[in-house]
Amino acid sequence: MAPLLELRGLGVTFGGLTAVDSLDLTVDEHEIVSLIGPNGAGKTTVLNLITGATRPDRGQVLLGGENLVGLAPHRITQRGIARTFQSLRLFLNMTVKENVMAAEYGRTHATIVEQMLQLPRARREEREIHAFAEERLAFFGERLMGYRWNQPAYSLSYANRRRLEIARATATRPRVLLLDEPAAGMNPVETHEIAELIGKLRDDGGYTILLIEHDMHVVETISDRVVALDHGVKIAEGSFDEVATDPRVVEAYLGTKATVTK
Amino acid sequence: MSAPAPTPGAEPATSPQIGVDEWVRRSGERIVGPAGALGALRRAAERTPWYVLLAVFVGLVSAIPELTSNQYIIGVAADTMLYVLLAVGLNVAVGWAGLLDLGYIAFYGFAAYLYAELSSGHYNLHWPTWQSVPLVIAATILLGFVLALPSRRLSGDYLAIVTLFFLEIFNNFTNNGYAWNWLGFGATHNITGGPTGLTNVDPFRVFGHELTNRPTDYLWVATGGFAVIAVLLTFVNRSRTGRAWRALRDDPLAAELMGMPVKWLMLLAVAVGAGVAGFAGTVNAAYYQGVFPTTFYFPLLITIYVMAILGGAGSLGGVAVGAIVVNVLLEVLRTPNHARWVFYAAVLIGLLAKVRPWRLLAGVLAGLVAFGVVVNQVVGAVWPRGVHGAIAMGPTSFTTHGFFATCLRHWLVLPAHTYEASNYQIGNYAFVLTIALVLACTAATGWKRWVLLVPTIWGAALAWETTLIEQAPTVRPLLLGVILIVLMATRPAGLFGKTRVEVV
Amino acid sequence: MSGVLAFQLYDWRYFFAELVAGFTIGSLYALIALGYTMVYGVLKLLNFAHGDVYMVGAFIGWFVLNALGSPLKPVLPLVPLLALAFAAAMAGCSVLGVLIERFAYRPLRQAPRIAPLITALGVSFFLEQTGVLLWGATPRTYDTYDLRKGELFGSLTAGNFSIAYVQIFAFLASALLMIALSLFVWRTRTGKAMRAVSVDPEAASMMGIDVDRVISVTFLLGSALAGAAGVMTGLIYQNLNPYMGFGAGLKAFTAAVVGGIGNIGGAMIGGLLIGLVETFTAGYLSSQFQDLIVFSALVIFMLFRPTGLRGTPLLQKV
Repeated sequence: MAPLLELRGLGVTFGGLTAVDSLDLTVDEHEIVSLIGPNGAGKTTVLNLITGATRPDRGQVLLGGENLVGLAPHRITQRGIARTFQSLRLFLNMTVKENVMAAEYGRTHATIVEQMLQLPRARREEREIHAFAEERLAFFGERLMGYRWNQPAYSLSYANRRRLEIARATATRPRVLLLDEPAAGMNPVETHEIAELIGKLRDDGGYTILLIEHDMHVVETISDRVVALDHGVKIAEGSFDEVATDPRVVEAYLGTKATVTK
Repeated sequence: MSAPAPTPGAEPATSPQIGVDEWVRRSGERIVGPAGALGALRRAAERTPWYVLLAVFVGLVSAIPELTSNQYIIGVAADTMLYVLLAVGLNVAVGWAGLLDLGYIAFYGFAAYLYAELSSGHYNLHWPTWQSVPLVIAATILLGFVLALPSRRLSGDYLAIVTLFFLEIFNNFTNNGYAWNWLGFGATHNITGGPTGLTNVDPFRVFGHELTNRPTDYLWVATGGFAVIAVLLTFVNRSRTGRAWRALRDDPLAAELMGMPVKWLMLLAVAVGAGVAGFAGTVNAAYYQGVFPTTFYFPLLITIYVMAILGGAGSLGGVAVGAIVVNVLLEVLRTPNHARWVFYAAVLIGLLAKVRPWRLLAGVLAGLVAFGVVVNQVVGAVWPRGVHGAIAMGPTSFTTHGFFATCLRHWLVLPAHTYEASNYQIGNYAFVLTIALVLACTAATGWKRWVLLVPTIWGAALAWETTLIEQAPTVRPLLLGVILIVLMATRPAGLFGKTRVEVV
Repeated sequence: MSGVLAFQLYDWRYFFAELVAGFTIGSLYALIALGYTMVYGVLKLLNFAHGDVYMVGAFIGWFVLNALGSPLKPVLPLVPLLALAFAAAMAGCSVLGVLIERFAYRPLRQAPRIAPLITALGVSFFLEQTGVLLWGATPRTYDTYDLRKGELFGSLTAGNFSIAYVQIFAFLASALLMIALSLFVWRTRTGKAMRAVSVDPEAASMMGIDVDRVISVTFLLGSALAGAAGVMTGLIYQNLNPYMGFGAGLKAFTAAVVGGIGNIGGAMIGGLLIGLVETFTAGYLSSQFQDLIVFSALVIFMLFRPTGLRGTPLLQKV
């Protein structure tokens, strides 16, 4: 069966620096693939290339066989790819619920004139937007429910902000979720919750997930496959055990001496 | 949402358990809302449904011609409503979408001129109102799209620059458009009437009835238009477009990646704002029966910006209030006697609001009075003529009688035969001195600041009485500049805006 | 106007005169543009009030010339007189610039970018109207045309072509000042600190650079140059009024953007370019619609090259 998301020979160079070099990567439907690598390996750049925030110099990004390279980012999102950000990028001055509702823009069609005159389609879509947002937020349990809906996003705790960002991403009705370090800055309890949540996203939500993560416990627990990157090049791929013990991966993280002493 | 069950053997909780949902849920009760009279007003405003507020406002304004027959007051009201319309239109691009549109007034002027071209004796087209007004509004919206196109490739600062260029282009064209000849390759056309503008513009004609009862008719037209526009805009703001604009204001990149077409939304915001300005432009042309280039210069843009920011950019009701406050203020400043009230009222309110505790306030006020009296006595002994001046009541009338005049003459140093004869030297020195003192006050800390505050206020009062009070055309922009500077430094959210959190 | 276009194309004397005039005004724009570009470099702020600092400089020069006798019967010989006017204007404007930064912009360091922009508009308005209040809106003149029997306005002539001394002076003085600035920025420690703050203020402060002081120095230098440009404007064009800062400021600010805002060399090139484009447009196309044509051309230019001739695009970290 063809993979849902496929990167073929994807590459980009900034000035003299090749950030990503001819990357081939596949993610099958309902798979959870983790992208690991030391800092500066180009992992976030890969997400930027997929979502269109950065234009690749070469290669293709195929979603269900369709090439997304060259499309405007909002169109790529509308085709079915959504992401979260390494350093959170919520709409801080909007409420929790509005953050999620805003992301439903791409799936609704009422024109501005219809909104001004409150024509039937606009009113109906507005009701649907509200309902869907509540549903998306309910996915995260009690944390983002009830009174929380009307609180401004800047009043949320760090962990809740990360959850909100994931909720917002799911509101775009994606097929593929790209999560950029979802467990960053979390304590062990929260990390465990996030790992469970990601699993739930795949099992109950049916999403296909590509995530970047540094916390190896998370990677080990939930990944179906792991891909390791260093200096923009794929250096290993396989199950967690295979990749974690791969000498090139160890060297990338810990330096040459580590492989020698191992 | 109940508190978690206590662990067996544990003491029952006696203090707030921070983080527990019950505590958080009731956090709303502990929020310290905006304080004082303004805060109470805001809370009341937030509790009332928006359409009630709108209906009350429209009702009150429309009733003005019934409550008074003073044409001056009705005229000020009509002007104010035009400003309200402009502020509301600017709010769409600047307040809701967060775009810095410095060319906004060009839309206003374009619409006014286009209406004047279509419905006047200039080309002898006398298009009926129901044709020209919608066409002008549509054309202005189109112009909005065109002008915003550069924004597709530009961001923030660059957009501000390009929109400012458009305003300059527009001003250049209207001023010199009486001799337009395609650089020598065509006949010469008089398109804009040049510096004298276009006159003999038709009034509005609705349902066969010509609106010639100025200003009352146009007050009603402007207010009615405002009501409709406010309703339409509120509906948009509460729908997906409004949310997308707010998302765009907070984080354009994230908005784009969440499926919102940021470039299109920017075009839309500018175009909608332009449409509102377009309507205001037609009303302006019909009301004043003429259009002139000097109306649509940069100072008008600044005025609208002050209104929007003072009122609270991002809040439709807020900017409307801002427009009213600023325009009424500027009107009041025209007459020296009224301007005087405004100044001293503002000083008192400022002191009351900012100087705490009460003892300190009393001390400052007492020191202020004492300082003035002492200086007055000293100067009076050395230079008698220096304290014998009169206070200004009108453009050319001065008086030494009356309670206020006597107080001021014994508190300030008002030299006779100087500013009354339009010799503003004393006032100029006082003005410069006051600025220096204001800066010193800002830089000082602790008790030194309160001590310096006394001569600062005194100097400001002296400058006010001996020069500023009589030079309304200069004081208007001066005051607007000061309001902007002070607002941005102390309260960027204005009166009714929400304080924003920004990731820098 | 029709037909005149063809005739003037073939008149070299006219062309040369326009060229010289373009370079002259271009040098002045370049001086003012440097202030805009340096401040944008360190603060990412478009200092709308800068044009009005230039206006104040012109007025200071006027007061100096009039304090030392009248321009027609000066107390001092020419060179010391002018030197004093320049020194006073540059010093006065430096102080003004530093004060503006300290009291209007510094409180807004952490505020969103739009806030100091709006404050700058407010300061600009304030300065203009203070000028009107103190000095009146009626234009004043330097009255130096006849200074020392018109010496300043004598010209160097070669056949059909001539350049006025005052134009040579403007161009050379501007060039000198720009060279001095470049030396300062590229060869001194403070200059290096300025460049560091332009790239990353936070990192610069962590390296021990006093960011506040560097920003003050930036404003000081930029304002001094604007002051010099103000006096030169008075000498060449003779006319001053409190609103002159708005127009010149807008053009100079455009020059900074065209050259690449934040780039010092770009501001110099941009200034000369705008001066030449403006003069040739007025001379050959239309002097009435000069602004319209120039600004329209600029809009188109911005569409194709928003970061200017020598600017670097702003990279966003996602």
